[in-house]
Amino acid sequence: MNYLDLTIKEIHEALLEGKTNPVELTKEALKRAKENEDNAFEMIIEEDALKKAEELSKLPVPKDNYLFGIPYIAKDNFSTKGYETTASSNILNGYVPLFDATVIKLLNEAGAILIAKSTLDELAMGGTGTSGHKGITYNPWDKSHTRLVGGSSCGSAAAVSDAIVPFALGSDTGDSVRKPASYAGLVGFKPTWGLVSRFGLFPFAPSLDHVAYFTRSVFDSALATELLSKHDDNDSTSSYKERPNYLDLNSSVEGKKIAVINGIYKTIQDKKVIEDFDKNIEFLKKNGAKVDFIDVDTDLLKAIYPSYIVISCAEATSNDANLDGIKFGPNYGGKTYSEVMFNARTKGFSALIKRRFVIGSYALMRENQEEVFLRAQRARHLIVNTFNKIFETYDAVYCPAAPNIAPLINKSSENINEDFMIADNWLAIGNFGGYPSITLPIGLENDMPFGANLMCKPFDEVNLFNIALKIEEGTGLKNLNYPAYAKKEGK
Amino acid sequence: MKEVNKEVLKDAANRLLFDMKDEEYDTLLNEFGAIQHQLNLIGNIKGVDEVSPMTFPFDVTITYLREDEPETPLSQKDVLKNAHDVKDGQIKLPKVVG
Repeated sequence: MNYLDLTIKEIHEALLEGKTNPVELTKEALKRAKENEDNAFEMIIEEDALKKAEELSKLPVPKDNYLFGIPYIAKDNFSTKGYETTASSNILNGYVPLFDATVIKLLNEAGAILIAKSTLDELAMGGTGTSGHKGITYNPWDKSHTRLVGGSSCGSAAAVSDAIVPFALGSDTGDSVRKPASYAGLVGFKPTWGLVSRFGLFPFAPSLDHVAYFTRSVFDSALATELLSKHDDNDSTSSYKERPNYLDLNSSVEGKKIAVINGIYKTIQDKKVIEDFDKNIEFLKKNGAKVDFIDVDTDLLKAIYPSYIVISCAEATSNDANLDGIKFGPNYGGKTYSEVMFNARTKGFSALIKRRFVIGSYALMRENQEEVFLRAQRARHLIVNTFNKIFETYDAVYCPAAPNIAPLINKSSENINEDFMIADNWLAIGNFGGYPSITLPIGLENDMPFGANLMCKPFDEVNLFNIALKIEEGTGLKNLNYPAYAKKEGK
Repeated sequence: MKEVNKEVLKDAANRLLFDMKDEEYDTLLNEFGAIQHQLNLIGNIKGVDEVSPMTFPFDVTITYLREDEPETPLSQKDVLKNAHDVKDGQIKLPKVVG
């Protein structure tokens, strides 16, 4: 029995029963991390992880603390005191944060054990997992290394999917946890904007940025939310709303009204995705949910991607202005302070990131502000108004998370072109409106997983988890992970 | 909207204090055709210019004053740890005034 193949809840039960202990779990997680060939890590934290595991193994396992003794991984854009944190960008090589991000602090205090920092698309500004300074991160489900796992939280997705850990932190500005979750067969959850502190998460586009996480079951996402959703004075956007008990769940959809958006559903070309999604809809209906296919103005859906690109790139230009090679990061010298910055940024950013910054800079030029930047923000307003209206009638919006299984690496492009369709970008609605949003696996095609996504109105996490638990029951894909699947299928 | 050409893109990059290789500007210029197409899609939305720009997902009203409690800031030694050039307890930069 290998306990890392289980969910957090199951591992916790095994810890309580004394069947395993933090040292055993950590040793196995480290072993798996070192053996991993998907290029998932920036750094493996061996010595300190083992030391902490040994300390924890001497303590009694607290009954109500699910994360105690659980090995976990954090995306390398979370500040971790004493550990180099680069966000997979050469401009931050050598940067060692002086403090822990709030979520890292909460996890560490709960007794979770950080065993590695994971790779990402450079500065979290990408959706493929191919643009980090350590190269391409591969999808664990495709051992021929021809398919991407998606990004930007690529390393965290690969690690949870390969059962190295049952939990990993990521960040989600457009779909950076929820899309790779679909490609890797995971549960990827983004809470309401403001629910989980972003203090210590490197900002990309703060009006869209969220802390988000990967697990292999809906309940595990709920228990992580129970730990992480605390108000934080260090984050000026942290909500003061009283948090409910996120573990008080009933997995009932009786009487729930669920909307499927025609304009998204109909853009999915993959028949197997639609087939399994439809099956799941039937299951929900049988269990008492009312599911309606509803129309939304297609022009609004078409505007999701361009609005996202404009807003995120524009916000990124100012958020990354502090990357100057002066306070931290490689410094290549110069005759003036601006030349020092110019050299550091020219040498430190990759070509892809520079192109994104240029788009942001172009959008913010005085001549373009009204027609590009402000118009994108207005489109965002209309999109959010439309979905807020839907949430007045419906408990949730539910659609396939991505148009297909993980794309082939050589067929994917970060270049902006017309191939980016509605089905590939609709998850950004969750960031526009700050909605809680969860992706979970609904099927497999040629041994590759794919998922669907559920969104609710802000702060409606309990409702979201209840519906998601029922979806999970219908798919039977709880705790999907590659090692267990390969074993079962004799691969 | 400003017409896009290599000079405009170079200006956009230089405003953010970095430069790109010549061929990278060419790549971006080619991509801008697709970007312009995408931007036009925003303009197609009926009534798009009749709503206000949205800067946050929803209204957040936070008005508070922190308690006047003393805090221990990062030490000077720590703050300077990540800087490349340090002199006399400060980050060193090229002279601004000759």
